[in-house]
Amino acid sequence: MTQVGIPRGLFYFYQYPLWKTFFRDLGAEVVTSSSTGRQTIDVGIVHTVDECCLPIKVYFGHIHELIQLRPDYIMAPRLVSIEYRSYICPKFMGIPDMIRASLPDCPPLIDITIDCSRDTRQLWKDIYRVGALFNADRRKVKSAYEHGLQALKSLCVLTRQGYTQHEAIELWENYCLEQAELNSGDLTVGVLGHGYSLYDPAVSLQLIERLRGLGCKAVLLESCPRDAVEQAAAQIPKKMFWTLGRKMLGSALVMDQSADIDGIVYLACFGCGPDSMVGDIVGRKVRHKPFMLVTIDEHSGEGGLVTRLEAFCDMLRRKKVQKLESDLSAYGIHAHCR
Amino acid sequence: MQYMLGVDIGSVSSNFVLLDQQQVVQAKVYLRTNGNPVQAIRTGYQLLNSKMPDEASISGVGVTGSGRHLADIMLGADVVKNEITAHAVAACHYAPDCQTVIEIGGQDSKIIILRDGIVYDFAMNTVCAAGTGSFLDQQAARLGIAIEKLGEESLASSRPVRIAGRCGVFAESDMIHKQQMGYPMSDILMGLCEALVRNYLNNVGKGKKIAAPVVFQGGVAANRGIRKAFEKALKLPVAVPDDHDVMGAIGAAILAGEAVAASRGTRFKGDNFILQGEFQTRSLDCQGCPNLCEVACIMRDHQVLSYWGDRCRKWETTLKPARERVVV
Repeated sequence: MTQVGIPRGLFYFYQYPLWKTFFRDLGAEVVTSSSTGRQTIDVGIVHTVDECCLPIKVYFGHIHELIQLRPDYIMAPRLVSIEYRSYICPKFMGIPDMIRASLPDCPPLIDITIDCSRDTRQLWKDIYRVGALFNADRRKVKSAYEHGLQALKSLCVLTRQGYTQHEAIELWENYCLEQAELNSGDLTVGVLGHGYSLYDPAVSLQLIERLRGLGCKAVLLESCPRDAVEQAAAQIPKKMFWTLGRKMLGSALVMDQSADIDGIVYLACFGCGPDSMVGDIVGRKVRHKPFMLVTIDEHSGEGGLVTRLEAFCDMLRRKKVQKLESDLSAYGIHAHCR
Repeated sequence: MQYMLGVDIGSVSSNFVLLDQQQVVQAKVYLRTNGNPVQAIRTGYQLLNSKMPDEASISGVGVTGSGRHLADIMLGADVVKNEITAHAVAACHYAPDCQTVIEIGGQDSKIIILRDGIVYDFAMNTVCAAGTGSFLDQQAARLGIAIEKLGEESLASSRPVRIAGRCGVFAESDMIHKQQMGYPMSDILMGLCEALVRNYLNNVGKGKKIAAPVVFQGGVAANRGIRKAFEKALKLPVAVPDDHDVMGAIGAAILAGEAVAASRGTRFKGDNFILQGEFQTRSLDCQGCPNLCEVACIMRDHQVLSYWGDRCRKWETTLKPARERVVV
């Protein structure tokens, strides 16, 4: 049976069910690397050009692990754009080339170009080309891809309930999950960040799990109403041309207006281009809620993160208590938090 | 007499205070952690104990700082609080109408914006520790000046030179350059103070509305050069409390007082536990999964008191009841 390896990094958190279903329907066996660990990060750092962000380094660690399993192919798409006139971080575009350059003994890559910035013609052409690798006819390829899109929809149903994409993928695959309860906690905190850093517990130093542990209900981008997010994102004078950046900005603005949200945390990666812009814009645009930007990098010392999160939760709690004590909120006078 | 013990185990210094029931500092100890928090906790406690009046007893303990979990295990704390909350509480105690707290410690610097006595907004330095106490320490050592004298020395300056403050490495090479050019030491030191303040205001204080009264605390607040540079940059008076170096510990002690009042009883372990046995720390690389967590553990007389640092909490929970598994 032909084996296709899918590394557990970057687009994995957004598209894994799609490609797993697709390849399975074409009669291939899908293997993945194990969850990100210390080793993945260490190996990734060695094999990546050093100006990359942490998630890309982690991705290379996963590719390296997959190479040891010697699958027939490794799925590493050239992700340019997933929607009309909106783009993914440019580093994704160069992923297949970067892999070939730094890991020469890599099995053949399935490096289809996903570029929907104008239309989906090129994408379909590439999908059929991939199908041909598995001797599938066009009809079979088409139905496999559509089946994959359905799988992606079932993932969306889960993320809308408040599961992170990482947890949703676990649930989708294994029907069970080892974790604490979702909807408990006296605080509601909006948590934003690129999915491949935020939802990978090893990269984000378990940011979401820690917040839940501190008694917060984490509200994520995926559970925000999509139309409202787009409307809010359209408010800024120039269109945000990164798909994920636009969604984060829109969600932040929606959360800023939402009565249920007590505060917003934004996870940025040191060395991430989009984060350096989006994080800053979000920080400026969020006017009604306490906002905190946390930056992560390769360091494994989590003390700094814990201190910031605890202090943030303390602040939110004390504000809440004060708000309850007087109906005339003290914050009516200073409507602006930043 | 009932006292509250407040402990702040920081990266560079370890601070201990005793507060009486009127929340007045009765005794304080400020000592260097020197990379060995376990030793620092014992020595600090011992020193404080020797300053304590005979009839006094400790009725509550609060710990803070980056070594707070260690201190909690060794002392038995009623409150384990992060530094930001502790500093804010202490600043409010010192100046109830305080609006801005500037805190510069050994490895981190923070700004806390207070409104009506509660934390309204805060920020901490991000990945880089440039411009914190440890950098000043290092420069003082390089120049052969005692760290306590650095502030005095810089006050003699009439015309501070401009030093790059964005990065500690650049600042150092800039200082060496200015030194070789023949500028007087005091001008270079004042330039360094201004660079640190500029860096602080641009990074940590970015976008924050700094309003008077401003309270400046943390170990670096002892440096009068930095204080002067802050006043010059902010055009506001900057107050430095007498106990500026132990404010975190004071905050922890006040919070402990609140916690003990609510729970009636303390978890404090007492002199025998802290001073008699031998504490040891150990670390191990867990080989259970690819995460390879660095697990630390603390033991007293070969009895393990606590594990921490494991992501899956496998070690941690060997001493506590396990978490249940949720099936959807």
